Amino acid sequence: SSPSLSRESLGISPEDANYFKSDIIKCKDGSKKFTKAQLNDDFCDCADGTDEPGTSACSRGKFYCKNAGHVALSLFSSRVNDGICDCCDGSDEYDGKVKCPNTCWESGKVARDKLQKKIATYKEGVTIRNQKIEQAKQGISKGEAELAKLKSEEKILKGLVQQLKDRKEQIDKAEEKELLEKEKEEKKKKESDEKTEGEEKDSKETQHEEGQSGTSDEPSLEQDVSEVNDNDAVGADNDDLSENEASQSGGVEQDAADDKKTTVETGSVNGAHDVESNESQDEAVEQESDGSENTEGLSKEELGRLVASRWTGENSGEKNKEVDDAKKEDKIGKSETQENEPNEDDDGYNSSEDNYKYDEDSPEEEDIDDDFEEDDLHNADASYKSDSEDHTDYSDITTTTSPSWLEKIQQTVRNILQAVNLFQSPIDKSEAAHIRKEYDDASSKLSKIQSRISSLTKKLENDFGPEKEFYSFYDRCFENKQNKYVYKVCAFKQASQVEGHSSTQLGQWEKFEDSYRTMLFSNGDKCWNGPDRSLKVKLRCGLNNELTDVDEPSRCEYVAILSTPALCLEEKLKELQQKLDLMNMQQPQSHDEL
Amino acid sequence: WKKEEFRTCDQTPFCKRARARQPGSCSLVATDVVINDGDLTAKLIPKFDGSKGEEDEQEKGEEPSKPLLLRLSAYQNGIVRLKIDEDPSLDPPKKRFEVPDVVVPEFDDKKLWLQRVSTEVINGDASQSSVVYVSDDHEAVLRHDPFEVYIRKKGGDRVLSINSHGLFDFEQLRNKKEGDNWEESFRSHTDSRPYGPQSISFDVSFYGADFVYGIPEHATSLSLKPTRGPEIEFSEPYRLFNLDVFEYLHESPFGIYGSIPFMLSHGKVHGTSGFFWLNAAEMQIDVLGSGWDAESGLSLPSSHGRIDTLWMSEAGVVDAFFFVGPEPKNVVKQYASVTGTSAMPQHFATAYHQCRWNYRDEEDVANVDSKFDEFDIPYDVLWLDIEHTDGKRYFTWDRVLFPNPEEMQNKLADKGRHMVTIVDPHIKREESFHIHKEATKGGYYVKDASGKDYDGWCWPGSSSYLDMLNPEIRTWWAEKFSLQNYVGSTPSLYIWNDMNEPSVFNGPEVTMPRDLIHYGGVEHREVHNAYGYYFHMATADGLFKRGGGNDRPFVLSRAIFPGTQRFGAVWTGDNSADWDHLRVSVPMILTLGLTGISFSGADVGGFFGNPDTELLVRWYQLGAYYPFFRGHAHHDTKRREPWLFGEKNTELMRDAIHTRYMFLPYFYTLFREANATGVPVVRPLWMEFPLDETTFSNDEAFMVGNSLLVQGIYTERAKQVSVYLPRGQSWYDLKTGVAYAGGVTHKLQVSEDSIPAFQKAGTIIPRKDRYRRSSTQMVNDPFTLVIALNASQAAEGELYVDDGKSFEFGKGAYIHRRFVYSDGKLTSSNIASPVSGSKVYSSDCVIERIILLGLSGAKSALIEPANVKAEIESGPIMLRGRGGPTALTVRKPNVRISDDWTIKIL
Repeated sequence: SSPSLSRESLGISPEDANYFKSDIIKCKDGSKKFTKAQLNDDFCDCADGTDEPGTSACSRGKFYCKNAGHVALSLFSSRVNDGICDCCDGSDEYDGKVKCPNTCWESGKVARDKLQKKIATYKEGVTIRNQKIEQAKQGISKGEAELAKLKSEEKILKGLVQQLKDRKEQIDKAEEKELLEKEKEEKKKKESDEKTEGEEKDSKETQHEEGQSGTSDEPSLEQDVSEVNDNDAVGADNDDLSENEASQSGGVEQDAADDKKTTVETGSVNGAHDVESNESQDEAVEQESDGSENTEGLSKEELGRLVASRWTGENSGEKNKEVDDAKKEDKIGKSETQENEPNEDDDGYNSSEDNYKYDEDSPEEEDIDDDFEEDDLHNADASYKSDSEDHTDYSDITTTTSPSWLEKIQQTVRNILQAVNLFQSPIDKSEAAHIRKEYDDASSKLSKIQSRISSLTKKLENDFGPEKEFYSFYDRCFENKQNKYVYKVCAFKQASQVEGHSSTQLGQWEKFEDSYRTMLFSNGDKCWNGPDRSLKVKLRCGLNNELTDVDEPSRCEYVAILSTPALCLEEKLKELQQKLDLMNMQQPQSHDEL
Repeated sequence: WKKEEFRTCDQTPFCKRARARQPGSCSLVATDVVINDGDLTAKLIPKFDGSKGEEDEQEKGEEPSKPLLLRLSAYQNGIVRLKIDEDPSLDPPKKRFEVPDVVVPEFDDKKLWLQRVSTEVINGDASQSSVVYVSDDHEAVLRHDPFEVYIRKKGGDRVLSINSHGLFDFEQLRNKKEGDNWEESFRSHTDSRPYGPQSISFDVSFYGADFVYGIPEHATSLSLKPTRGPEIEFSEPYRLFNLDVFEYLHESPFGIYGSIPFMLSHGKVHGTSGFFWLNAAEMQIDVLGSGWDAESGLSLPSSHGRIDTLWMSEAGVVDAFFFVGPEPKNVVKQYASVTGTSAMPQHFATAYHQCRWNYRDEEDVANVDSKFDEFDIPYDVLWLDIEHTDGKRYFTWDRVLFPNPEEMQNKLADKGRHMVTIVDPHIKREESFHIHKEATKGGYYVKDASGKDYDGWCWPGSSSYLDMLNPEIRTWWAEKFSLQNYVGSTPSLYIWNDMNEPSVFNGPEVTMPRDLIHYGGVEHREVHNAYGYYFHMATADGLFKRGGGNDRPFVLSRAIFPGTQRFGAVWTGDNSADWDHLRVSVPMILTLGLTGISFSGADVGGFFGNPDTELLVRWYQLGAYYPFFRGHAHHDTKRREPWLFGEKNTELMRDAIHTRYMFLPYFYTLFREANATGVPVVRPLWMEFPLDETTFSNDEAFMVGNSLLVQGIYTERAKQVSVYLPRGQSWYDLKTGVAYAGGVTHKLQVSEDSIPAFQKAGTIIPRKDRYRRSSTQMVNDPFTLVIALNASQAAEGELYVDDGKSFEFGKGAYIHRRFVYSDGKLTSSNIASPVSGSKVYSSDCVIERIILLGLSGAKSALIEPANVKAEIESGPIMLRGRGGPTALTVRKPNVRISDDWTIKIL
């Protein structure tokens, strides 16, 4: 240990050395004064421990060990002469009961090497971070510019759509009027026919006729669609249905909507089955664990599992591992459909298959997020784009490629509005169809623009950090594999735990915490008898975005570590460098002092 | 709580029958009363004079009862033992079960060999009574007709009696006849009951009693509320049947994990007495409210302040003990002389324990351990629950989570810390599991009614249960704990026995079927309440052997039976994180202490659910005074280690834990007292103040030893609390040193900082004010003495110190001092009893500080024989308090605790 230290200097840090120079010393909390003889006399005089920096007499005191060659330490007084070597220079154990060899230079070397590596990482990380920030700034201003442009386009398009809508409604009215007159005539004709024919046959004919005229008849088409929807809800044969629908609706105007509908419907019908079967299983489980359940009918094993499940919260119905796993999958399947549900009505959502489809006729898609693509080229991260609204095809409205599409539309509208003569009777069918098509086209474009506006707005509303250093996290997912689970963290969106084809939501994006050193995902899937799942992602400086150390310290409360250049702060780098300088300076006076 | 899963008295035929009996229905008379082998013996035969008893039997078409044998013995220090059983010479179908290994062997040495019996005719009786000597103050009386046994003061007032109301009933074993259907069903379970009805019930009366206490384990008040009688709403009897009850309720007579059929009474008139029935079958006990027998026409002598009780058991024999008191401590000592005193715990076990279901892996363990250091919070033991095992096979490790268990334990041990792992009695039925293989081969499992190994269900799934009634199986089990056999264990590892009621998830009432067969053909119904006891015993024996007989075992058990105190600590099981459970923990722990089990505690924070921060803090503040102080939590709860609730709350919990560490010398001294005498570490107020009636039913406050009174705070955001301080002395607030008058209920302001605690005037408490990582590092630290002077400027206290782990103290290797302050002088004298052993324990520890409460004006002190002076100055009462209240303090007297010395205050 350090026999060179005198009683007066024991445990005192260099900054404090002067404080203890005088003969009468004040307790730092001002409560009392003590004499130099009472300094480190192994009796606590100051409640805050001022008088006993070198002994264990005061419980609130701190013991300073210099640890030359390593890092100086300030220990709780409770560590002084407790038989455990805490300071690498051994100075905390001086009562002779244990021998603490001085290991500072050796362990200091390890620490210095480590620190050096850390500094190197920080240095590089700071550079990457600055690049990211620069990119973020560009990305954001680009986004903002696009947003502004889209908004002005939206305004114009809205006007056009309104015009078309007005005109369409006029046509509708005119057609309706025509139809009424036609009916009147037919009625007259019928009345004369009635005298010779029975009522039943008559009405059949009417129906038949209505059905035939359905192709061009709006109200009856609507009726068909709603019938289809009814069937859909019951879960009737899906393939037939969509075919049926396609053939019935026909016409170009339905195409775009149709594609989407078909996929969504297919998904939802399957999903509905899953949900149903799952719910009934869940119900059964719930009944079992219900207090008022009847256990009479259970086998011995079922009863055992049931009672055990009260403490463990595990599903008592599980008979073996296979069932167990199957169940989990079911459950997760369910949660997936739930995730998707809200998106069914969302124009902005596209499954990845949809993207492929769009990609074929819209090569410009890449342009939207060019800044992100760049990232991917630079970093071989375990990260990738998340499924999101931004992958929707905006090719027909993408600002970069079609400066003139709006003008085109404007021109077309002008033309047809002039061409269609409302007062002509009967109304020209092809012109009416033209108007309707143009209306549908324009309003579909409008809704696309609007959804792009909303997704862009949503994106830009995110908290990307004080320097927008987290901008590149947007649309990124980070993965970590641990045994059979893959943990998937999608910044600003959600986090999940994936096992095979099933996935459990660990949480929805909530916010940054702890001065942007933690990402918080909350309100994940429910946990039996526990809190809803949540995940805290602690951020560390690193050259790549890398998710590590996923852990569940408390039931259903997950913690992960993500190393990222975004956390490589310049101030911290300076701090580390200073620390290293300090360590290098403090070489032990004599190495073989022991 | 699943009420419908457990039987009520009405659903339990023997209980229903016994409860329905009318006073005076017992027709037995005592005949052939003689002294035999130093005992008073007699036969109990039915009285054939057309009494109700005979009619009953004829109605039932039963064969006439055979005589029962009665044996009454007297023991030193006012103990009477009464045994009633069938006559083995009359060829009963089966020998009824008597619980072995509970009464300590030394008890036999205390037997008084009765020489003579005198007879007298008690006023109004037709026949005579036989009277024998019990002590110089007491006699036992056997009244012949009607049959009754009672203890009285010499020629005077009754103390205790049995069958005074004629409720005694003993269902003798019969041979099954054609058409007898003895089966009993409950829910989906059928009990074959091959031996038919065999229950026993009787009334016991306590005289001069204001309250009765004891018969744990129930989550109820300390003084037992009547369960029957006028103006009492319907209540179940107090049930004694060891059960694993999921989310047990507070304020319920329902039986939980443990059963101790020992009841104490206390009253201003007589003082204290006790009754203990050694019986391991299901028991139900009614406390009868006064006037319950108004219609019986019976009138007992000394009926003033009498409390009647009805005891009912499904099987076994009458093996009952009467304890005459008269002081509360006499009764607990008398009980301890029958069942033994508390084992002397290792010193570390009296400190703070950190547990959770589960600390998941080695990294988690290392992290929790280092956090305690980071926040300067001491703790001594880290616990691993069931998930540490490989598939719930005890003695194994999940090698993915715990690849290096020895290294993990050694890392803790390097900081003076210990580890505890769980070992439960259910054995996974799996061929590859060595324990199961050996147990199957050896025939070590409890058998089902058909003779096959019973197959139940617990954590591992399909499981069997070791038959711990068999001493050979216990020996085999004990060997499993050797360092060689328990792979991955180290000498710093100790054990936790959970689920030993036993808990059987698919059994009736979540336990074993009653018709299972144990060693010697004993039915499970006969031994049920002692199952966990034998398991605990075998485990403790394992650790004893592992340490070569010189390392005190530490085994925590959930199931409880008389004698459990000899094998380790207990806790109150799976409580809940709510204020009611915080509140009920105090009467539960006090009751355990009264019935022999000193070393007990409740899970701090509450096992189920998430305590809000205030509750958790209050629980730490109270739990710091539990004899067994452990934080524990269910695996579905949020983490709740003390540093997780912000700086302020960390500070509060650290303070609470520090308080415990500060008082460790005092606690350890009290543990030694419990070990030596049976007087518990924490005590109801009335044990220390038997004449102060205000204390008799107080279970909000309690005494730690005879010097410290602690009042819990059981409500949210409490601003004020009423504390009754017993009369006779004044009381010094622990934190402020302010003196409060005794005999008064004080309304005190409270803060979040601490719960009220007071040192009784006239006492001296030894403390250690320096804090360390764990208690292990405190061994050389100096002591503080806190002297609280009474009105005559006097005080006294004790200090016991030994090596904290071995059994050398039994050979004299300890320091035991008495400190007496009077006439302005403090003297330290040796009170170690002169033992034959030659072992010595030496210590260089000194007293660094003496705080004098209730003294003023002193300037210095003279230490003799060294003849040196020490300064007296104003110093803080609590070292940790920031510039808090002060008192006169002798600075650095530095006298050694092992020396005789005197300090004169000048």
